[in-house]
Amino acid sequence: MKRYDLLTPEGTRDLLFEECLARRTVESKLTSLFSHFGYSEVVTPGIEFYDVFLGTSRTFQQESMYKLCDSKNRLIAMRPDSTIPIARLVATRLKDAQLPLRLYYNQSIFENNALLKGRSDEIVQAGIELIGGENTKRADYEVLCTAVESLALFNKDFRLEIGHIGYFKTLVKRLNVDSRTEEDIRQLIYSKNYPALNDLLDKIGDNSITATLKALPKLFGGKDVFEKAEKLYVDDEIESILQNLKVVYQRLGSLGYENKIIVDLGIVRHTDYYTGIVFQGYLTGIGGSVLKGGRYDKLIGEFGRDCPAVGFGVNCDAVATYLCKQGEVEPIKTPDCIVYGEKGFVVEAMSYAEKLAKDGLVVENSLFDSIESTKDYAIKRGIHKIFIVNEKVTYIEL
Amino acid sequence: MDKPLRIALTKGRLEKDTIGLLEKIGYDCTQVREKGRRLILPIGGANIEVVLAKANDVITYVEHGVCDMGVVGKDTIMEMQGKFFEMVDLGFGKCKFALATKKGSKFYGGYNVKTIATKYPNVTRNYFESKGMDVEIVKIEGSVELAPLLELSDAIVDIVETGTTLKENGLEVIEDVCPISARLIVNMASMKMRQSEIEAFVKLIEENIGG
Repeated sequence: MKRYDLLTPEGTRDLLFEECLARRTVESKLTSLFSHFGYSEVVTPGIEFYDVFLGTSRTFQQESMYKLCDSKNRLIAMRPDSTIPIARLVATRLKDAQLPLRLYYNQSIFENNALLKGRSDEIVQAGIELIGGENTKRADYEVLCTAVESLALFNKDFRLEIGHIGYFKTLVKRLNVDSRTEEDIRQLIYSKNYPALNDLLDKIGDNSITATLKALPKLFGGKDVFEKAEKLYVDDEIESILQNLKVVYQRLGSLGYENKIIVDLGIVRHTDYYTGIVFQGYLTGIGGSVLKGGRYDKLIGEFGRDCPAVGFGVNCDAVATYLCKQGEVEPIKTPDCIVYGEKGFVVEAMSYAEKLAKDGLVVENSLFDSIESTKDYAIKRGIHKIFIVNEKVTYIEL
Repeated sequence: MDKPLRIALTKGRLEKDTIGLLEKIGYDCTQVREKGRRLILPIGGANIEVVLAKANDVITYVEHGVCDMGVVGKDTIMEMQGKFFEMVDLGFGKCKFALATKKGSKFYGGYNVKTIATKYPNVTRNYFESKGMDVEIVKIEGSVELAPLLELSDAIVDIVETGTTLKENGLEVIEDVCPISARLIVNMASMKMRQSEIEAFVKLIEENIGG
C-alpha cells in the first residue's frame, strides 16, 4: 500500500522561515490597523455544519467545499468563508449586542480546488465586518477607507476598484427576461466577453437598456465612467445608485489616492450575495485580486436578525507572496551569540543565556561537549560571538 | 521603461495568424518569425513580449497573471474554463464542436444510456447536461473517430473543420454543438493595473481583425 506520510495534501504547503515571517507580518499589520479603527477580533470554528453555507445568498459550490461527517453522521464543512459564520454569530450570540458592531477575523478558509491548477486549498484571510449602522453610506465609506489603508500598508501603488451591484441588477430586472438569461448575461459581463454579450443582447432587443448592458463591461476607469453612464439608460433607481457611487468615489479621492481608485460598473460577482457597493483590490504582479468586499444586507437576515452589513477580506497569503517577490521581507536573523557552559556549569550557562535574551540579544545555548565543537558550529552558522561560562564568564569573537 | 506587456500565443496556426495580425497593425515581428528554439520573444516597435505555449498552458499562464494576455481557441476555453476576461473574437481559427455518429445510425433512438467518446469531456458533459440527457463519457487522446467504428461509443463530440476525416471514416455530423474561433483573453488583475495599455492594444486588434 502506498503511504503518504512524507507529503502534504495537494493545495497545501509548509511555510518556513522567511515565508512564514512574511505572512505573519501581513497578518499583524492588518490586524493592528483593524483594531486601531475599533474592530474586535472573533474566531469561529474551522468546521461548521454544512447547512450554514446553504441559503439563497450563500453561493458556494458544493464541489468546492471540503466536507466531513460528525459523530452523528451530520454533514460538516470546513469553513469556506469567514463572513457567513460571523453572520451566524451576529444573529445568535450577539443578537442583543449594541449596533454597530465592528468585528475582525484572521483565520484560514478552505477551498477544494481542481488538482494541478497551482492554487492553494487553505488560505489565510484577514478582514473586517461592519454590522449595522444608522447611515449605511457612512459605513460604506468607513470600510472603503479601511480597505484603501490596508492596501497602502503594502504598496502605495495599489488599485482599488469600486462598483455597485445594484446597477447591473436594476438594468437586468428592467429587461424582463427569465433568470437563466439573466445569469447568461451576468457571466458574459463578468468575463468581459463582448462578442457573445452583443449577440445575446441583440436577440433580446434593441433599446436603451440592452445598449447600456452592452456597454457595461467597458464602463470602468476614472470619473469619466460616471459621465458615460449618465448618457446611457438612467431612471430614478439608477440615478441614485450612480450618485451614491460618485459620492464615495469623490470622498476616497480626497484621501490622496485618487488615481489608485477605479470605478467599475461591470463588477457582477455574487449578485445574490451582495446588495450594494462592491470592491476589489490589486497589487502589481499578483494575478488576481488580493482584497474583496462589499455590502451584504440580506445575509444576516437569513439567520434571523435583519440588519445591514458591509465588509472585506484580504488574502494574506497572496500579499505575503507579493512581499517576498518584492524582496521586502527581512531575512531571519542569525543569533547574535552562543553560550557554552563548561562541564558542570549547565545551569549557570542557561541562566546567563536568559539574561542576554532579556537584554534583547538573540542567543543560542550550546549543546556541544567541548568549546572546539561549539566553535566549529558557530562558524558554520555565522555566529560571531561565543560566551564561555565557568566560574566567571569570558567570551571569544570569531 | 515599464515591464513589457506579455502575450501568450498558442503555438501553431493560431500563432501564425496572430503574428499576421500584429504585423498588420505595424509591429515588427521578425524576432518571432526567426525564433529558433526561443520561447519568449520581443516585438519590435512596442513594449510587448510574445510567449509561445500550448493551448492549455496559455490559459494557465494568463489565469496566474504571469502573462497579461493570451490568444487561444474557444475550444480550449470551453474545456478548461477559468477566470479571465475573454475580450475579442479574433475571427480566425474558425471551426466548430459537433456531435457525430456512424452514418445512418439512430443516435436518439432506444432507451439505453449513450456512450460518447471525446477529447473534450467537460464540453461534452455540459452539452448533454444542457439537454437534460444522461450520457457516459469516455476520454480518448488520439483519433476520436475510431471509437464509434470500434463500437466503443455511440457517438463522438469533436472539433470539425471541413468534415473530410468524418466522411472518409463513414461518420456524419448530426448536430452542431457550437462554433469555435480564436479569442484574445486578458488576466483580470492586469486589466486593472495596466488598463490604458491593454485597452489601447485591444483597440488596435479590434480595428485590424477581419477584412
